[in-house]
Amino acid sequence: MRVRIDPKQNEVRALKWVTDWRLKRVLDVGCGDGRLTVRLARLGALVHAIDPDGKLIRKARESLPKHLASRVRYGVGKAEDLRLPDESFDVVVFSWTL
Amino acid sequence: MVHALSEARRVLKPNSILVDLRPAIEHHHVGILRAGRYRELGTTRERFDPDRAANRAVAHVLGKRLFRQEWRTQFECDWVFATLGAFREWISEFIQSGGLSSHDWLVRRADNATRGRRGESKIVARAALVMRVLSKEGTCHGERTANQRGHARRPTTRCS
Repeated sequence: MRVRIDPKQNEVRALKWVTDWRLKRVLDVGCGDGRLTVRLARLGALVHAIDPDGKLIRKARESLPKHLASRVRYGVGKAEDLRLPDESFDVVVFSWTL
Repeated sequence: MVHALSEARRVLKPNSILVDLRPAIEHHHVGILRAGRYRELGTTRERFDPDRAANRAVAHVLGKRLFRQEWRTQFECDWVFATLGAFREWISEFIQSGGLSSHDWLVRRADNATRGRRGESKIVARAALVMRVLSKEGTCHGERTANQRGHARRPTTRCS
């Protein structure tokens, strides 16, 4: 691997403080290549992840570990126009998006 | 940005939370990691206008009582580059995204510091990240709060 992001796992540690992620319906806005999405799914969340960049979504789909496939759904979408039902998520995550 | 936060609020269930994770308004520190020791090479010179605008948007929705801040924490996040090429690629992406002017000087410093010691040295970019947890406001009286539902279990030492 050419780049390792957050090898000390500080991000995961901080996420664990936020809530018990198990079976939480989570919207990951601006997921990029899915790095944080995978971390959330590993914590037990059911993640709907969106990003406006279709290429990044394709990359995220390709790199998603098979054992997490049932917990993650990727789609192209914008933060300003979510096109998702009202009151349908337990947590919304803006990952480097605002 | 305010519109994005309003959309997030719309799709959130009552008493649920929004997590805002992004870099703090601080420059990235770039250095060399060798035999477990970190030596600083320099700091990036990015602009912070978008981050300040994001902070204003968050302040706006808090002021409008659309959300309430539950807690805020700040922590370090490292990017560890195995090669100079990987570091150069990261800097290039940063420049293209509009965050930086040319940083050839920093790439040259990294090149000089790792020359002849490629296997032993790693280039590290270190950023401070801020995580804010906001709970959705404006729900029915008598409903449980975000804390009672098990969100944001403990404040950290850097709560504001």
